[in-house]
Amino acid sequence: MLWEFSYKKTWLHKINPSFKLAIVFLLCIQVLFIHNLNFIINYMLAVLILYLFFTGHPSMRLLLISVPFIILFLTSSTSMIFFGKGEETWFEWGLIHVTEESFFRGIHIGVRGLIFAVLGVVFALTTRPVYLFYSLMQQLKLRPKYAYSFLAAVQLIPIMVEEMQNRRSALKVRGVQYRKGFSGFIDKFRLYSIPLLSQSIRRAHRLAVAMEAKSFQGAANRTFYYKMGFSWLDIVLLLYFIISISASYFLAIYFPYFPATDVRFG
Amino acid sequence: MSTVSSVKNLRLKFPGNDSLLFKDFSISFQQGEKVLLLGPSGSGKSTLLQVLAGLIPQSIDVPLKADQLTIPESWGFLFQDPDTQFCMPYVDEEIAFVLENVKIPPGHMNDIIVYYLHQVGLELDSIHTRIQTLSGGMKQRLAIASILALQPEVLFLDEPTALLDPEGTSQVWNTIKDIGKEKTVIIVEHKIDEVIDYVDRIVLFNAQGELLGDGPKDVIFQQYKQTLYKQGVWYPGIWDDYLQDSHPSKPVISNPRETPVLSLENFSGYRGKNKKVFVDDTKIYSGEWIAVLGENGAGKTTLLHSLMDLIKTSGAYYVFGKNKKKIKRLSDFVSFVFQNPELQFVTNSVYEELAYTLRILEWDAGTIDHRVGHLLQLFNLDTYKAQHPYQLSMGQKRRLSVAVALAQNQPILLLDEPTFGQDAVNTFAILEELERLRKEGTTIVMATHDWQIVRNFASRCWHIENGRLTKEDAAIECTNIYPSHILQ
Repeated sequence: MLWEFSYKKTWLHKINPSFKLAIVFLLCIQVLFIHNLNFIINYMLAVLILYLFFTGHPSMRLLLISVPFIILFLTSSTSMIFFGKGEETWFEWGLIHVTEESFFRGIHIGVRGLIFAVLGVVFALTTRPVYLFYSLMQQLKLRPKYAYSFLAAVQLIPIMVEEMQNRRSALKVRGVQYRKGFSGFIDKFRLYSIPLLSQSIRRAHRLAVAMEAKSFQGAANRTFYYKMGFSWLDIVLLLYFIISISASYFLAIYFPYFPATDVRFG
Repeated sequence: MSTVSSVKNLRLKFPGNDSLLFKDFSISFQQGEKVLLLGPSGSGKSTLLQVLAGLIPQSIDVPLKADQLTIPESWGFLFQDPDTQFCMPYVDEEIAFVLENVKIPPGHMNDIIVYYLHQVGLELDSIHTRIQTLSGGMKQRLAIASILALQPEVLFLDEPTALLDPEGTSQVWNTIKDIGKEKTVIIVEHKIDEVIDYVDRIVLFNAQGELLGDGPKDVIFQQYKQTLYKQGVWYPGIWDDYLQDSHPSKPVISNPRETPVLSLENFSGYRGKNKKVFVDDTKIYSGEWIAVLGENGAGKTTLLHSLMDLIKTSGAYYVFGKNKKKIKRLSDFVSFVFQNPELQFVTNSVYEELAYTLRILEWDAGTIDHRVGHLLQLFNLDTYKAQHPYQLSMGQKRRLSVAVALAQNQPILLLDEPTFGQDAVNTFAILEELERLRKEGTTIVMATHDWQIVRNFASRCWHIENGRLTKEDAAIECTNIYPSHILQ
């Protein structure tokens, strides 16, 4: 089984991973302080443009990945819309109480969640773990001991998936039958979880021994196969966000589509 | 010549075991020697290798005591499992990882990577190839390339081909012969056919980890032939000696008057949406021993998996005239031995492992104990019955996996290379037990590469080509026509 999807390399792939990580991190914090619904919707569009056009992944895959986002958006916004506080009642039925304020606040929360998710996925789709950790070691002085441990762990993921299928076959061969309903779930959990965990630990140990046998000491003085530097594309990314966020802000001020400029209650 | 590696009065004990694995054990190796450590499985050869390399106690925490221990200045260690040696996803990155460890300047790395890959005969389209796309033999050669990057004077090889097919095995040994000319090479290996010409010294162990003999290979083979045979270690010509002692009766060819044990028509097995194996029409009768033959990747394992219903299948599949779709639990009729013995295990001790299926079937405790005791004895596992299956040696695991499959006495046995990487005594023990069952009417379907097994035990061969069952022969005929990379 191949554990990698094919994709086209875009300019987002060429950005220094540490720099990209820092930007994503800062943006996520900044989003927390936006209370203007119009601003945050414009903001989301700016992020979505990167997701839709510049990750280099085929559109079918992007569509598939977006399914959980949409679910996230619907669940987080509807609960606020249905049950949030507010004075301008639009609709009331039993426990459900939709008001103008709760409606806008619900949309706002949903959009905020979407921005977090899309930023994270854009980062994940355009960053190879190997480059990320090389960059973390070179730019942010992460200890090689930790960096290579993570990289080795990534190698174990596909093996674990295989392990799971193997386990299913083994249990079938041995004639295991599960009880019905919830007890069956408990049976399965018991028969899968511990062995899979112990197998992973064994493999991790074996891999660690193999790495040490290749004279890996985890020390900081080592050479690097990949040199992770900075380029003008890093500035392009920075400018993209400065311009798009400013534009979102001014558009929100001068051409608002919703009257809600501050969704906070009270 | 100078001593490059030695140990004096080694004492070592695994936590939880009562007895010492090595007691005042001494050995030394001279520069340039090619040494084979030989002995029954579980005799501590791999452990000794790890001690000599300094992996024990540095990386693996096992208490040991030695008066003197010389670890070579530079060494490389090749492990058994090709899948847990690499920490990077791509070929070039993996070798670069080693080069980084020894602080080679980045500018030189590319040339060095290309050089070592060429040395081990890995001619890839691009050095930036995903490791997962390589076959087992190629992975082991990549592992050799990355070891070479350490410029080792001593190579420690711990059953490097135990999990490889014949083709991968000879690739790996040819590579080692190529690159190891100047080096000291210390080898642990059960499949000695490929290495025997290469080594000049043999160190012989018994099952308790004691030294039986140490000397030039010819001397060892002459003086210790009886011991080798008794200890069940492969040596050239052991099959002849074995066949002289015991005459396995050749199974009869199918008897079409009975109802078939198993019949297939228009039968296909799928991996995902792809049809991977196809059988037009065949029947198997009681007491047959079918050898499934074919090149690597031809679909032998997949065919066995579809017979066990582990993957999606279509077409007609009847067991004792009963449609498979109507059978609630196929494992009541069919038993299976996986290629990788670890896949077989579902419990935490050897004893429990053997009792597991019997408990599901609700046998009473006394009968279970009796049956398990018998199997432990038969497969030489009595001493290990409280151990976790994963703690056994490779050979012991293989034995246990076969024992597990026999516990319930199902009428049909599917085996995926059950004697692979096994020492001689256990190979014969497994074959004899299978033969005994077959005489009692059990039907055996077994993928194998070993032509001695085909010639002396099988009744019929299935030839698998590109996933299709293309030909069925009486076993005597098929050993003559198959090329050597399919039958060893």
